[in-house]
Amino acid sequence: MKRFRRQFIFGLFALIAATVGALWLNEKFNALPNYAYLTGWTLLAGMFVLTIYNVRKKLPFLPLGKSETWLQIHIYLGFFTALLFLIHLNFRAPHGWFEVVLAWLFVLVSGSGMVGLFFSRVLPRRLATRGGEVIFEKIPALRHALKTEAENLALGKDGKSLVIAEFYTKRLAAFFSGPKDFWKHLAESRREVSGLLAELEDLRRFADDAGREKIEKLSTLVRQKDGLDYHRALQLSLRLWLFVHIPLTYGLLIFTALHIILVFGFSGGAR
Amino acid sequence: MSVQLPAPDFDAQNYARPNQDWICGHACDGNACRQGPDAKGRCRATAECKPALKTLPGETKGRWVCTRTGGECESGPLPDGSCCKPIAKCSPVPTLRVWRGRMTLAVIAASCAVLLVVLGNPPWRNNFISPGTISDPHSGAAFAALAVTNHLNQSCGACHVAGNSGPNGIVNAALNAEPGILDLKKLAGEPAAKPTMIDASCLKCHVGRNVHQPGAPPVSCSFCHAEHQGRVMAATTDANCYFCHGDVQKQRIAAFGRDLGYHAYVIHHFADDHPQFKFITEKLRDSDTLKFNHALHLTGATIPKLPGGAKLDCAFCHSPDAAGTFMKPVAFEKNCRVCHSLQFDPQTPELQLPHGSAEFVSAYLRSLPKQYLDLAAKQNVADENSFVQQKLTGLRTQFGSGVDLEKRIFLSTSTTAPEINVGNVSGATRAIFPGCAYCHEVKNSSIGSPEITKPMQTERWLAQAKFNHAAHANIACAQCHDAVHSKDTADVLLPAKETCAICHSPRGGVADSCAECHTYHRPPVAAP
Repeated sequence: MKRFRRQFIFGLFALIAATVGALWLNEKFNALPNYAYLTGWTLLAGMFVLTIYNVRKKLPFLPLGKSETWLQIHIYLGFFTALLFLIHLNFRAPHGWFEVVLAWLFVLVSGSGMVGLFFSRVLPRRLATRGGEVIFEKIPALRHALKTEAENLALGKDGKSLVIAEFYTKRLAAFFSGPKDFWKHLAESRREVSGLLAELEDLRRFADDAGREKIEKLSTLVRQKDGLDYHRALQLSLRLWLFVHIPLTYGLLIFTALHIILVFGFSGGAR
Repeated sequence: MSVQLPAPDFDAQNYARPNQDWICGHACDGNACRQGPDAKGRCRATAECKPALKTLPGETKGRWVCTRTGGECESGPLPDGSCCKPIAKCSPVPTLRVWRGRMTLAVIAASCAVLLVVLGNPPWRNNFISPGTISDPHSGAAFAALAVTNHLNQSCGACHVAGNSGPNGIVNAALNAEPGILDLKKLAGEPAAKPTMIDASCLKCHVGRNVHQPGAPPVSCSFCHAEHQGRVMAATTDANCYFCHGDVQKQRIAAFGRDLGYHAYVIHHFADDHPQFKFITEKLRDSDTLKFNHALHLTGATIPKLPGGAKLDCAFCHSPDAAGTFMKPVAFEKNCRVCHSLQFDPQTPELQLPHGSAEFVSAYLRSLPKQYLDLAAKQNVADENSFVQQKLTGLRTQFGSGVDLEKRIFLSTSTTAPEINVGNVSGATRAIFPGCAYCHEVKNSSIGSPEITKPMQTERWLAQAKFNHAAHANIACAQCHDAVHSKDTADVLLPAKETCAICHSPRGGVADSCAECHTYHRPPVAAP
């Protein structure tokens, strides 16, 4: 924790220093001829370093430094590159179709990165607070096991209770059949599961001792399934932002390459 | 040699491989096979065992034996040596990594496809890659017509070398650009506002740069006139002017070693470091030969009231032109004759001298008998000849001979006689016509009529600056023009810089940019 805090303070300080420095340089040199070219190349260099973090992850066997260090550089350089992007645009919105698409790609890649950073800082803590450790890939199997257990309990032949069986068919079968309430789990809402548990509690009045015992077990299974869904929602969120961040990075690189060609092809020095 | 052992709680039966591309189709049921799918996502499930052929001593064919882990099955292998318990094949499921990879490929493919389609179609290409709307003067029907006249391309090619080219041409142009794509040193060190190939395109229509100073350094058109910024081309900013006027060194270069004097100032803001107007620093005087006393006309007690009773004011003589920008020149017939009627015969107010030409005046005076005769006819006088003789005798009595009369009319500056009430001026005022020389510079001529120097009203004093009277209509004339204290025509009644800066300054709140008054390209109007 102490190391993390030290890293954070160092990174933040470096980012603030770089931001102040960049703004000062921008103020001092923005009247330079070809200033947009210079900021453009600086931005491209930043984007290049950000992109090769993905390459670094794919080559763990090469002695290229710790992945943790790379991630820190990726995060803070990502923020700084967003500033470079604004400087390159001269703090004005682009107008042409191509430039608008290029700018939006940059915004989406940066934005998804920031969302990812937020998720990776907040969601693991929430998962730890909720308790339990589940490997994401094993969630379907665990959910299936819970469903089978609940089915056996509610619909099994031993001491079958019609009330419980009916409740299971009407309310719990759908609950156990698949992942539920993705957005509500992200929003930390427990209204659905609380409702289900309250309804199960109400069933106690119509059940005998054996039935009450089943209801107790079913309640436990409902809680476990809810915990599983919670883990799935949060762990999936931790992975889904990359579905925007990585693919759009490639789109951004393609458009950036074309941007460079267009800039030079249509520049005053084009021959 | 170190041996990596699995952790004590490692579940080898349910080993998850999240980094692999495919997972067993039965995984969601909790029955994933231990092998898992192959790299291409094919199920590798076969059977519970792979029977082995055992041949006992003396046997020739041998016998298939079950090799199932956990003990032989009851049925044993089939006669052909295959297991009797085949495992149901699954449909392997791609992992999230595979979906992410597919999405990445889809984005790459979509990007390339969109770019190929758009760049391959010239009208789409031009629209797509244009960094912004082109200004109206450089687009539309009028520009198309001009382009045809000047043998220009009507699209991007009108200005850009690569504008007519397809994707290959654009790449070639980019690779051959000067400075080159990776020539960072040159890019960083290139002089500012240096004219480029695009300027050559500008000059096809805008012949000559027509700059405000002949020695001004060549500046790229796009330095001040940024294209692709919208239908209305963005106005130039002070920063464009500072390029030269904020750098005295550049102005020295522009002056080719001449004494820069007035132009040597480094100017940033009108109110701060803009030099005082030249007509003040050089104490310029109005060279007009007309004798006019503003103070007398505006404040004098002897100045008659205008028809209708209004007091003579600035607006009576100075009226704006059609655009309201400048004041029209003062004209005698419109602005002066109402008081200065040029009546020369005290007894005959109907006869007035013509104005505008000394020859006409002389001719008029020499034709006085005819003028009186016409007047008699107009007034239906019974004895016209007597009327004429009477009038001429009256003139002779007062002025002597005709030559004397002419001399007096041209050269007298006396204000004492002849004096007379002027017909169309109401009130008890008296207008005087002492002679042409009262207002004009009159020189004697050895031949013909005396010469009257034609008054030359200066149309523009600050020739390098724009001004619009209409925009200043809510300000009293006297706030800028100190006419009530001016007795001499030579006084230049323009405000000093400080007067303008009261409003045109950050403190005054009115625009004070360079372009508010100055134009870069317009040739200077010749000063009088």
